[in-house]
Amino acid sequence: MCDIIWCKKMVDGKPCNTVNYLDPYCFWNWEGKVNCAECGTVYYIHMIQGHMYKGPEERPGEKPDTSPLYADKPLDGYSNYSPGVEGRTRPFECLPRHIYLGVPDMRKFSIRGRPLRGWRPQPPDGGIAGSYKFNWDLKRLSPEVWEEYQRMLRDGEVKDW
Amino acid sequence: MAKDPRVCRLEELDGPKSKQELDEMKMPYEDYCRAAFAPGGEFSRPLSLKGIRWLSTTMYIFTPHSVSNLAELGAEVIKVEMPRMGDPMRHCAPFNETYLYPLHDTRPMTGTGMGYLNANPNEYHITMDYHLDEMKEAFYRLVKMSDGLTECYRPGTFDRWKQSYRYLIEMNPRFIYVWGGGFGYGPKVFGGSYDILGQAHAGLASVTGMHEFMGGHCTKHSNWCIDWYSGTQITFGILAAIHWRRKTGLGTMIEFSQVQAATRCLGYAAPLYGRFGIVRQRWGNWDTQLCVHGIILAGKSDYPDAINPQDRLDARYVMVSAFNDPDFKELCEVIKKPDLYSRYQKHKDRVEGEAQVEIYAALEEWAKDKSRGDVVRILQGAGLLAEPVMNDREVYECEHYRLRGTIRWQDDPIFGDVLAMGSYGAGLMSKTPRRLYWIWRPVGADNVKIYHELLGYPTAKIEEWYSKAMI
Ligand SMILES: [Zn+2]
Repeated sequence: MCDIIWCKKMVDGKPCNTVNYLDPYCFWNWEGKVNCAECGTVYYIHMIQGHMYKGPEERPGEKPDTSPLYADKPLDGYSNYSPGVEGRTRPFECLPRHIYLGVPDMRKFSIRGRPLRGWRPQPPDGGIAGSYKFNWDLKRLSPEVWEEYQRMLRDGEVKDW
Repeated sequence: MAKDPRVCRLEELDGPKSKQELDEMKMPYEDYCRAAFAPGGEFSRPLSLKGIRWLSTTMYIFTPHSVSNLAELGAEVIKVEMPRMGDPMRHCAPFNETYLYPLHDTRPMTGTGMGYLNANPNEYHITMDYHLDEMKEAFYRLVKMSDGLTECYRPGTFDRWKQSYRYLIEMNPRFIYVWGGGFGYGPKVFGGSYDILGQAHAGLASVTGMHEFMGGHCTKHSNWCIDWYSGTQITFGILAAIHWRRKTGLGTMIEFSQVQAATRCLGYAAPLYGRFGIVRQRWGNWDTQLCVHGIILAGKSDYPDAINPQDRLDARYVMVSAFNDPDFKELCEVIKKPDLYSRYQKHKDRVEGEAQVEIYAALEEWAKDKSRGDVVRILQGAGLLAEPVMNDREVYECEHYRLRGTIRWQDDPIFGDVLAMGSYGAGLMSKTPRRLYWIWRPVGADNVKIYHELLGYPTAKIEEWYSKAMI
């Protein structure tokens, strides 16, 4: 459980309505200024043992010390700011964002260029009661991936390690 | 017949018994290990648990791991999952960004996530809704022809469904029944658990990470280490139970609490508090018993321009070990702090908390303008022990792990090309090595094999169960 700042700042005649999540790990015992991920309003807070002791109080014109971990707009459905969105949520350096983009990435080949039967959609091939055989026949079930694999083999794109 | 202690026989003495054995003993250690373990040659060696059949009604990692260990050692493990859904761990993936096919014919748009890797290798996967009276017979028949079962439901659940130890032991007195859960039979008996909860509740998270003055917080160990650890402990419990059964012919029940496993990990922390009232503190990557013996942060990365933050930012840690007095003296000379040595000449003085704070701070100050590689080179050049802390990519690229077979590429019959580590990373055995046949099977993949081929139900029955989502 973490505390939040539900930003109600009026922007262009509408409330900002963004929930900024104050990741308990970093805000557990913390005093300082934090921005709203959507409108950038700076709030002063003082958190003791994970509880909001003072604030949030607006601090117009001041610079934030840090940013929320993550923010979303619950009244808009699923729109959100992931951790580590430049200038909006807290810098987050754990995941390579050029790979992890928040959307499923369907890979057909492993990093050494051999078939990885993990993408979707694949044709269902369960036998009786969803019983699968012990070998996924790539050539029969995914002929286009098989073709691509043959090309990669020819072009020397398949590695042993 | 009792051996006469006065008789000495050559073949019972230590040492080589033949020319061949003598040559073997003269082998360089590396060659000996290569020959003894022969990574990749596991499949030609005997299986230690061949003939054992185990049932698994488990989820996530902790309890599945307890039986996947058996499967890697050659037991036949039958994992029972909920029809159409499977183990919830199949639906776990980092940021929901991976879905590996196929999960199930009836759910074409969902797959098995990366989290399911390594926790259920070599198992047969069947589905069964054992709430239903119709499925009880099949379940009981499996129990009668199996050696044991591992389950992870809340205490009393299996009893309510008439499949707890007291019911099953009536059917099969040799049956070994394992319950793996959160808190064990105590005040929190109905509390469910999970790796992070176990780590926090047991106090393990409290002592993990850097101390506050180093900018630290209590930290969860990564990769569900308490799940893996508890699972392995259960495996040892099962092996002991199998041994006991071989001697007595009787089964047993094992109750295992994940939180107690995490408490056990803390070593002396609880006794220390009980005896002296001392609350164990977080000490980052230092050793409280040895100094210098810990991990320091270098100022610069070895790969400052890399895109991946694991390379760009994290490739900065170095393990340094110089805890005996001459090594520490050398270390102080290398970092040009001879005064540190003059003040902390004896290990007893160095190992004190205040001394460690000062010594490690001085080491990091010295490493501030250096890269991880520089630090390792300089210290190794001075004859000290220092090694870079590797990241995933470096482990993957490391020749050592490949030669050892700790990580290897596997052509999985369903998954395809997969880099496997789990089974092989658990330690090599020369005579009866672990092995990996497949990393997992789709939900219900072995329904026909188990219900038809093992239990003998007609195909029409199996199709009927399947159409009604009973399996
Ligand atoms: Zn706002």
